Amino acid sequence: MTTTPDSPAHEPGHEPGRRRWGLPRRRRRGRRGGRSPLHRRVAAALALGLGLLTMSGLYTAVTADVNQARAQEADAALLARGQELYNSNACISCHGSNLQGVDGRGPSLIGVGDASVYFQVSSGRMPLARQEAQADRKPTLPIFDPDTEEGQANLDALGAYIQANGGGPTRPEAAGEALRGDDPARGGELFRLNCASCHNFTGRGGALSSGKYAPTLDPASETQIYTAMLSGPQNMPKFSDRQLTPEEKEDIIAYIYSVRDGGNDVGGYGLGGIGPVSEGLVAFIVGLMAMVGFAVWLGAKA
Amino acid sequence: MTSTRDDGSARSGPDQDGPRQDGARFEGAQGEGPPLAAEGTHPPRVSGDELERMTQPQLARLAAELDDVDVVHNQDPWPVPGTRAERRAAQSVVLWFLISALSALAFLLAFLFWPYEYVAPGTPGYATYAAYTPIVGGMLGLSITALGIGVIAYVKKFFPDEVSVQQRHDGPSEEIARRTVVAQVVQAGKETGFGRRKMIVGSAGLAAGVLGVGVGVAAVAPFVRDPWKGGDEAALWVTPWRSVNGETVYLRYDTGDPEEVALVRPEDQEPGSMMTVFPFREADRGNEEALIHGLRASDAPVMLIRLRPGTPTVWQPGRDLHYGDYIAYSKICTHLGCPTSLYESQTDRILCPCHQSQFIATEYGRPVFGPAARPLPLLPITVNEEGYFVATGDFDAPVGPSFWEMGSV
Repeated sequence: MTTTPDSPAHEPGHEPGRRRWGLPRRRRRGRRGGRSPLHRRVAAALALGLGLLTMSGLYTAVTADVNQARAQEADAALLARGQELYNSNACISCHGSNLQGVDGRGPSLIGVGDASVYFQVSSGRMPLARQEAQADRKPTLPIFDPDTEEGQANLDALGAYIQANGGGPTRPEAAGEALRGDDPARGGELFRLNCASCHNFTGRGGALSSGKYAPTLDPASETQIYTAMLSGPQNMPKFSDRQLTPEEKEDIIAYIYSVRDGGNDVGGYGLGGIGPVSEGLVAFIVGLMAMVGFAVWLGAKA
Repeated sequence: MTSTRDDGSARSGPDQDGPRQDGARFEGAQGEGPPLAAEGTHPPRVSGDELERMTQPQLARLAAELDDVDVVHNQDPWPVPGTRAERRAAQSVVLWFLISALSALAFLLAFLFWPYEYVAPGTPGYATYAAYTPIVGGMLGLSITALGIGVIAYVKKFFPDEVSVQQRHDGPSEEIARRTVVAQVVQAGKETGFGRRKMIVGSAGLAAGVLGVGVGVAAVAPFVRDPWKGGDEAALWVTPWRSVNGETVYLRYDTGDPEEVALVRPEDQEPGSMMTVFPFREADRGNEEALIHGLRASDAPVMLIRLRPGTPTVWQPGRDLHYGDYIAYSKICTHLGCPTSLYESQTDRILCPCHQSQFIATEYGRPVFGPAARPLPLLPITVNEEGYFVATGDFDAPVGPSFWEMGSV
């Protein structure tokens, strides 16, 4: 009488390691696919280094190995550059010389991953201005400006350095408009289920306890929204790729982009988009007053 | 009628001393006699012949006089017909009505044919779609406004400028009117037999009374509910998480499609995350109504929280219902039933946006701030042999706002 959830007639997509049942039309990306090329390069370089150590006495270097050895040098340079940026941009004063964190100043960065670094630094939240309830978004440090080539390179280097120490979630491979899914309606559904309780249903943000708040999503770029979902900055919960698949995350980003910057004010003016309270207030104060004034004017002219 | 016509000494009817009184209201009752003293100041009496000879304006004036209305001043706004100013005034009124008609037509056409289906911003056709609401609303509003302005303009420009006075009176009606009315009612009662036929009147009253009670009960009954109906299975005590006939109740994630059942495994969540989950039974698979009920029932939503490893926790004796780092709390605030789903992953607080109640996820959902008085109900969960989260029972406390007869938990 009790059918088990494994009855194969019902679930074509059911197999260990996969949460979704059905959805054959959607491309799936496992954990491996979600890693950035940078991460893979670092991992490959480390593996290769080991291999070279054991095999260097047996083989003479072949052309391919030479190329990869160069890549390893480049990665070592990248990590060194990342460490240099870490040490010279005040990160070290709160997160410690070994990313272990400093008591009362900042948390350990071991395992936070490249996604977290990208979100916090590219949005200007880090370096922190002062210790307070919440790190505010502020102008990005010029050397980490994601809109410049140099800033991108520096973000890559810093992210690679943090990533090399404990791993963690990484940035998506795509960036910019490629991160916007093709189904903003489904994204809206998921946004209202998972995000709207704090960020409001059109991403206006809202208050949390003790001076903390969920920020407005208007200034956030696609990659920043994506990495925020992955890394759960500050008091935001994390949304792993098994909880919200990459496609679902992209649909959510598409939804956020479709409603922000006045994008969905079909009435002409959104009144801040914070919901029926402000709209009702305006209807009462402006609309009702206008009608009362009109009635008074009519009476005066009679 | 007569009660409004007592002009006392303020005014005397112009024809009160006329030769005949056959136009009077009391003609039938009073016969041919002279006017009664009380009627001495009544409005004019007009004989049948006079009535025949009267022109329409005279009749209109007579109507006003019969109602004791005195036209003090009546000025035709356009005493000379056919002036250019009058034509202009007429044209402006017509113009407003034409504007109203045209915008009403535009409203109708836009409502029928304008593309209204959602187009995402940035895609072709968005501007047209975005204009749908302003066009439909604007045209309807313009039509109603222009119609109103046209009516007002017509009244202002073409109605005569008139001041009229109608006489009113204080105090009760005339004695004669009061007595005759009462006598009429009594007479009617006698002639129709209401006074004598007690049986008929009584049974009619019974019928009307019972019907009235029936209608009254039907109107009020839907508001009367017994929240305790069903005893331990009463709606206040149980939720869709209760297992029926021992069937497993899975935790289910909402992907936005009710038919797409996504069950939850422990590895789906990162430490420091929250997932909203709903009940699912295999028996509901394919039954859209039951699936939607599971997702939409007001007492069904559950926050499945995975704490960061090593987070210190406090549990009440007998309420140690977590599964490792996973805890499942009802999402419904125990204050007034808002969705209290603002989970702060660093402080492990759960904030309710309506009245700022705060609960601590690491301490059995205890309220620490705001008006809520009861901890969030805990859902007992475990992982079954297939690796899925399942509920091992219903919530350990009633979900939602604390209700009467509810002791402190």
